[in-house]
Amino acid sequence: MAQNVNVTSVPWIDSGDAPPLALDRDKRDIISQGIADPLVDYDIIPLTYTNSRWSAFFYRADEKDLRHVLPKALTLEDDVVEFWYVDHNHTGLGPYGEMGVTISASCKGSDGNTYYAGYYPYMYLTQDTAVFAGREPFGFPKKIAYIVAQEHGGKEDDGYGGFGNDYFNFTMERRGYLLHTATGRYDDAELPAKPAFYGNPAYGRMNLRILTRPTLTETKWEVTYLPSEVTKATAAAMGRPETEGQHRFQLKPESIRTASAGAIRSWALQATPFDNMGEMLPVKELIGLMSYNFDLIIPGAQTIWSQTIERTAEDIGDLLFATPYQYTMRHRFPKPAGV
Amino acid sequence: MAEQFAVTQVPGRETGEIPPSPLDRDEKTVIIYPLADPLWDIDTLPLTYTNSRWSAFFYRADEKHLRRVLPDCLELEDDIVEYWYVDHNHTMLGPYGEMGVTVAASYKGGDGKTYYAGYYPYMYLTQDAAIDAGRVLGFPKKEAFIRVLEHGGNPDDGYGVYDGKNYQFDYFSFLMIRNGYVLNSVTGKYDDADLSAKPAFYGNTEYGRMNMKVITAPDISNSEWQLVYLPSLVTKDLATAMGRPDTEGSHRFQVKPESIRTASPESFNWFSQATPYDNLGHELPPKEHIGLMTFSFDLIIPAGDVLWTETYTRDATWAGAAKPYRFGLRHRFPKPIGLGA
Repeated sequence: MAQNVNVTSVPWIDSGDAPPLALDRDKRDIISQGIADPLVDYDIIPLTYTNSRWSAFFYRADEKDLRHVLPKALTLEDDVVEFWYVDHNHTGLGPYGEMGVTISASCKGSDGNTYYAGYYPYMYLTQDTAVFAGREPFGFPKKIAYIVAQEHGGKEDDGYGGFGNDYFNFTMERRGYLLHTATGRYDDAELPAKPAFYGNPAYGRMNLRILTRPTLTETKWEVTYLPSEVTKATAAAMGRPETEGQHRFQLKPESIRTASAGAIRSWALQATPFDNMGEMLPVKELIGLMSYNFDLIIPGAQTIWSQTIERTAEDIGDLLFATPYQYTMRHRFPKPAGV
Repeated sequence: MAEQFAVTQVPGRETGEIPPSPLDRDEKTVIIYPLADPLWDIDTLPLTYTNSRWSAFFYRADEKHLRRVLPDCLELEDDIVEYWYVDHNHTMLGPYGEMGVTVAASYKGGDGKTYYAGYYPYMYLTQDAAIDAGRVLGFPKKEAFIRVLEHGGNPDDGYGVYDGKNYQFDYFSFLMIRNGYVLNSVTGKYDDADLSAKPAFYGNTEYGRMNMKVITAPDISNSEWQLVYLPSLVTKDLATAMGRPDTEGSHRFQVKPESIRTASPESFNWFSQATPYDNLGHELPPKEHIGLMTFSFDLIIPAGDVLWTETYTRDATWAGAAKPYRFGLRHRFPKPIGLGA
């Protein structure tokens, strides 16, 4: 005889530890699909991160390569790339690992102002909520990958805090291909250069959000901008008015470790059929690694530039369906036998 | 001394086996981001699936529950829920596992026409490209750990059990976990029973598929809801685009009748659970199990039509609506200590 068990109560909604069900709230409080059970819900806003660990490799890249990955609305400001990993343990989205690339750029906004920012052409994370909380409203270019960000060794410890962190290992894999790995030992060297946006509050952060209608007839491009400082509105929303004007990203100086280029024992960066970063942004000169702890707040973003691409039925036929079954390497491209 | 190794050539690009980067193409061919390296690209369109394996549990649910998970613009058409798992091995998006719920519903269009469809309130998948490609069409996809397993009952030589169309496995196990919580687990043995009922959209070409897409502005000032509709038949444009005009008018979803296995409710154990992160077990509990039907199929998913939209706006005071640091169960809700706390 079959056994049937259904746990139909959602834990801790009654006590207020979890937000009310989306269907019991004002529709304004639903910010993501599905509407019955959003992938990203309003309990995460504003996004906050405490005591995360950032590890940033700095390297010079060819300016031609850097300009190639920038949207046409952006101008390159620096040839030093920040190629970073993060270990997030205390966030509004749960714990996750992250990897990304940041480039110094500027954008002449639709309002005539010039906005300076770190622009993200590539980002990878380990879990879905953080990926889509970044992608859908803000335009962070996030994908899901397997990521390891590890520091270890160098001193004895008793297993309770205070572990050694002399050695490091970073690895990222996606779809069975190794994208990147770097290993080494911190030597706490002075690094000869850093990206233009380091320590400069004039630089916010920018993303390019690309939204296509279900009909494929229209695609909207939007450059979104996050200023570097906590605004009055964000400070008030957090119930912490004293934070107005502070930098959203607070680095803890006592946590900094560095490694010179020579102390990075191995560095392998690979372009794959699914991810082209290794081709688009190869290293011209490795500068070093800087790791540190930080706190962060991510609020809503401004849209500073946009364009809309429209497609006729002919465009859709020509451009999207012109070559069915041609590109056979990335996936299986089946020709449905039943149809 | 550091040793550097750099593979700077994307395999398959020079031979034309993968598409050129969007950075090197006409802007009209850019449909998703990142611009430099899209999560999925034009090479996936139209989405096609060959010889996937579908396992659908049918159960009756309380109509009150079913109406609750439907958007206001939809009418409920049936009290039978399709609660399904899929094992996709041959797709344009790579292989993946999937789970979802489909409810029979209708929408009365402004043109007087009534659109019937299976509406998806819940969906879970195992990989990112398929999630995002679906979300663009409004599918409510999340990522989960999913296992779809059929096994045992007959000896086999290990070659071509599925491709050889020998649907001989007798036992099954389905499992879904997200954020560490089990959402559903079902185990049992096929008994090939006749099932007493099935959802209204089974075998009915009047029924397409519908989703509710939600697009939120970067500053969170508004969210637009779009009801997206996918008709059930291959249109002339789609057939032409695929270079297969013979498919016009065929159903997009082709069941292989010889692959069907069924199990009566007495043949399986069922565990379903609402969790702090996923409320499916709370919103749509089974009232009466009808059974399981498993079959192999082929599928095409084209672009969708938008039948209805509505926009909800938020003023500056909304930012406080989430009551920061209040909901302490679902995640950690840290108060950044570096920011003057």
